[in-house]
Amino acid sequence: MEGIFNNLGLGFVEVFKLKTFIIAGMSVPVPFNVLMCLIGVILGTLIGVLPGVGPVATIAMLLPITFNLDPIGALIMLAGIYYGAQYGGSTTSILVNLPGEAASVVTCLDGYQMARRGRAGPALATAAIGSFFAGCVATLVVAMFAPPLAEVALKFGPAEYFSLMVLGLVAAVVLAHGSLIKAIAMVLLGLLLGLVGTDVNSGVLRFAFGISELADGIGFVTVAMGMFGLAEIATNLEQKDAREVFTRKVEHLFPSREDWKRIWAPIVRGTALGSALGILPGGGALLASFGAYTLEKKVSKYSHEFGKGAIEGVAAPESANNAGAQTSFIPLLTLGIPGNAVMALMVGAMMIQGIAPGPQVMTERPQLFWGMIASMWVGNLMLVVLNLPLIGMWIKLLTVPYRMLYPAILLFMCVGVYSLSNNPFDALLMALFGVLGYICVKLECEPAPMILGFILGPLMEENLRRAMLLSRGDPSVFVDPVNKPISFSFLLAAVLLLAIIAAPAMRKRREEAFAAEEQL
Amino acid sequence: MIIRNQKDFWAGLMFMGFGFGMALIAVLSYQMGSAVRMGPAYFPTVLGGMLGVLGLVIFVRSFVSRLKAEASTVRMAFGIGDFVIAVALFAVLGWASKALLGNADYGMLAAAVLLSAAALFLRPEARPLVFIVTSCLVFAYLLKPLGLVLASILLVVVGALGGHEFKLREVAALSVALAIFSVLVFVKGLTLPFPIWPAFLE
Repeated sequence: MEGIFNNLGLGFVEVFKLKTFIIAGMSVPVPFNVLMCLIGVILGTLIGVLPGVGPVATIAMLLPITFNLDPIGALIMLAGIYYGAQYGGSTTSILVNLPGEAASVVTCLDGYQMARRGRAGPALATAAIGSFFAGCVATLVVAMFAPPLAEVALKFGPAEYFSLMVLGLVAAVVLAHGSLIKAIAMVLLGLLLGLVGTDVNSGVLRFAFGISELADGIGFVTVAMGMFGLAEIATNLEQKDAREVFTRKVEHLFPSREDWKRIWAPIVRGTALGSALGILPGGGALLASFGAYTLEKKVSKYSHEFGKGAIEGVAAPESANNAGAQTSFIPLLTLGIPGNAVMALMVGAMMIQGIAPGPQVMTERPQLFWGMIASMWVGNLMLVVLNLPLIGMWIKLLTVPYRMLYPAILLFMCVGVYSLSNNPFDALLMALFGVLGYICVKLECEPAPMILGFILGPLMEENLRRAMLLSRGDPSVFVDPVNKPISFSFLLAAVLLLAIIAAPAMRKRREEAFAAEEQL
Repeated sequence: MIIRNQKDFWAGLMFMGFGFGMALIAVLSYQMGSAVRMGPAYFPTVLGGMLGVLGLVIFVRSFVSRLKAEASTVRMAFGIGDFVIAVALFAVLGWASKALLGNADYGMLAAAVLLSAAALFLRPEARPLVFIVTSCLVFAYLLKPLGLVLASILLVVVGALGGHEFKLREVAALSVALAIFSVLVFVKGLTLPFPIWPAFLE
C-alpha cells in the first residue's frame, strides 16, 4: 500500500513539474503537463457535449500533432480526452435527449426525463459528482492493479501474447452490436488490412500493388479517421437535423438532501461495476454504463421510477462510464493490449513517441507510467470545476448547429492526415476508408472490432510466428494445460465466451439487449 | 431464390471479396513457408480463407433469413453500379493523368469533381458522402499548389455543399475564420511545413 502512494507521489511530481519555455526572449517556467491535462479535459468535455463527434475520431485527429510533443504531455492530454468525454456526454444526454457520447446513451433515459420535470440541475450535478467519485476510485484501482499485472505480464511468451490477443478480439466481438458473425468478419478484415505493407520477417511487400506509399503499411490514424470520422459525418448529414435543446436556464444545480440519500449507493455500485468491466478485454466506458444501469434497475428500491426520471438512473451509469474509461487503461499499460478502439489509438500514440506499450513501460519509464495515472486524478478535479460551475458555457455550445461544426471537423481531419507524411496519398486513403466505413454502417457491420483487429494484426502474426518457431511447428504450444497454463486458459476463456454467446438462449438475450438499446 | 436479407447479401459478398481475394493474392505472389518458419503468405492466407468462409456463411444466410423486410433493406445512397462507375472513373482519370502529367494527383482530383457534379444531378441522396470525400481530396491535392488558406476555404465550401442547408454568408464567414485559425494554429503554432499562399505568389 505504501508503495502505491510513493509511486503516485512520483506521478504527481511529474505532473506538476515545471518546464522552462523561452517566450519572447525570457525563460518562463510553465507547468506543462498540467496544461496538457487541462487542454485534454477541455477538449474531451467539448467533444463529449457535441453529438456526432466521438473520442475515437478526435484522438485520431490529434495524433499526428502529438508527434512534436513531449511523450508524457501528449499521453496525458489524449487520456484526458477520453475520460473528459464521459463528463461532457452526460450534459447532452440530459438536456437534449441525444447521447453526446456513445457511453452516455443510457443516461438519456432518466436524465432527460428529469430535465423535462425541471430537475436538469440536480441531474447534471449528480452526473458530475458521480463521475468525480468514480474517477478518484478508478485512479486508485489503476495504481493498485497495474503493477502486479505488469509483473505477471513480464513472464508472458509469444504463445501467451497470441492467446491473449485472441481473447481480446473475441471479447470485442461479443460486445459489438448486431450480428456476431459479421463482427468476427470485421475483426478478420481488420487483421488482414493490418498486414498491408512490408513484412518484417521477409522484407516482402504485401498487398501494396506497386504503390510505394504503402510500404510502411496503412496508417491506423488514416483508417480510424476514415471509418469513424468521415463515415460518421456522412451518415449524420443524411439524417435531418432535429435537435430540441433545453435552453431554459438550469437552476438549483445542487442535489437536495433527499437526492444525496438516493444517489450515494448507486454511485458506489456503479463505480465498482464500472471499474471491473473496464479492465476486461473489449470493455470500457460503453459496456460499463449499460451494465451499471441494468444492475441498478434490478437492485434499486425505486426501480418502478426508472425511465421516468429516477436519479439513480443517472448516478449509476455516469459513475460507471467514467470508472470504466479509466480502468480500461490497465490492459493497455500492463499488457500492451488495447481493450477498445480508443485504447487502440493510445497504442498508436505511444508508438509515435517510440514507446512500445507493454509491461516494461512501468519499469523502464516510471515517470511516464505514474505521471499518466496521477494526471487522471488531476484531470478529474479539473473536470468537476469545468462541469459544475461552468456548465452554462457548455449548454450554450449545444445551440451551435451541426452544419457549422462538421466543416471544421473535416478541416482538422484533413490537416492531421496530410501532416502524417506531407503527401496527399494519406487523404486519398482516408477518403477510401470513409467510403468503406459508410458502406459498413449501412450493411450493419460495426467498425470498432475492425480497428482493434487492424492494430493487432501485425502483433498477432509476429507472436504466432515466434511461438511456432520456438515450439518447432507444434501448434499444441497454445493449448498445453501443463506447460502453458496461461495461454491455455486464455484460449479456453475465448472459446467459452463464444460458445456462451452463440448459444441460442444467450443470443436471444443479447439481441434483446441491443434492441432495447437501439430504441433509445 | 429470393434475397431475404439485403444487408447480409451485400456484406457476405464484400467479405468474400476481401477474404478470398487477399488469400488468392497471397498464395499467388508470396512464399507460403512452413508452420515452423512462416512465409509472408501464411498468415494472410489463413485469415483470408477464414474471412471468405464467414462471408459465404453470411451470404447463404441472406437467403434464409426470417428478418422483417423493413429491417433488412439497405438504405444506401448509391447502388453497386454507381460504385463500379465511380471506381472506374478514378482509375481511368488517375491512369491518364499519370501517363500525361507524370503523377495521378490531378486525375484523381478531376474524377472527384466530376463525380460530385454527377451526384448533384443524378444521385442527390449520395450528396453528403460524395461531397465530403471530394472536399478532402480537394484539400489534399491543392494544398501544395494553392497554399493552406485557399485549400481550407475550398474544403469548407465543398464540404458545406454536402449538407442540407447552404447559407452563403454563414459558409463565407466560417471558411475565412477556419482558414485564419488553421494558419495560426497549424503553421505558426505547430510549425507544420505547409505553404500559406499559392506557389506563384511566394
